[in-house]
Amino acid sequence: MINGTLAPAGAALPAGRIPGNWGIWVGITCEFVEFALLFAVYFIARAHFPEAFHAGPGQLSTTAGTAITLLMVTSSYCIAGSVHAMRRDRRRSAVIWLTVALLVALGYPAVKYLEIGWNLAHGIDSEAGIFVTVYYYLTLNHLVHASWGILGILFVLGRLASGGYTADNHAGLEALGSYWHATDMIWLVMFPLFYLLA
Amino acid sequence: MDTRTDSLSPLTVAWLALVALTLASLALGEWTAAAPWLPLLMAAVIWAKCAIVADHFLEANRAHPFIRRVVQTFIALAPIALVLITLFGPEIARWTTLD
Repeated sequence: MINGTLAPAGAALPAGRIPGNWGIWVGITCEFVEFALLFAVYFIARAHFPEAFHAGPGQLSTTAGTAITLLMVTSSYCIAGSVHAMRRDRRRSAVIWLTVALLVALGYPAVKYLEIGWNLAHGIDSEAGIFVTVYYYLTLNHLVHASWGILGILFVLGRLASGGYTADNHAGLEALGSYWHATDMIWLVMFPLFYLLA
Repeated sequence: MDTRTDSLSPLTVAWLALVALTLASLALGEWTAAAPWLPLLMAAVIWAKCAIVADHFLEANRAHPFIRRVVQTFIALAPIALVLITLFGPEIARWTTLD
């Protein structure tokens, strides 16, 4: 088994490798199982209350959902850019990419804060029906996972800036990227389910 | 991420594709909200966006087979469920009723 620490700098990646390390993949698999169950809650509720889920997206701020989506994919891109730079031994470039990723990722809780304020001003609270209950249940859960990821970016950025990674040994950076990309994919599922699919 | 070349462009193209698909799905949701085929198209868009992230950012296509299968299974779940709910919603509601 080959992980990120053994890939030679600048060489083609071998097939069958482990992006990051096994530990992060245990966590990502648990995250996938958790959200698979949460999606089951969504789909079963949608089957039982089709009218509520048809009307639901019209109540929410599409602008907020779109902004979070663009922030997630852009921060994912920046983290991938950081790994790309580190593999070529460009530490300064990797630090810049990861710093931009952090700043973009911080936009997510900021938009979510504004969105919840907008929701409450429009009466979209915990008593607003089954669609809104499921929406808060899943999106706040995702925010918790993204917040862990943001803390992870901060930690890895500190290690990266202080020379903790090299072109041949940066599994920690790759592990962070794997977690963030997985969290990004979960949001890419949630965005149309809650904000677009009337 | 592609390490065979020094270029960042495969990652940039993937990111632009994700942005384009996001804006396209937004337009679809706004203009064709009542179309019966919208959930099926959205299921395809969800799968396509997740596959782009999985292959280009997460590098799951070149990862250990266990990791590849976990990722492929996860990104297929919601689109399949969406198609099933669209086609068999009342039946699924009946099957998931406790009383």
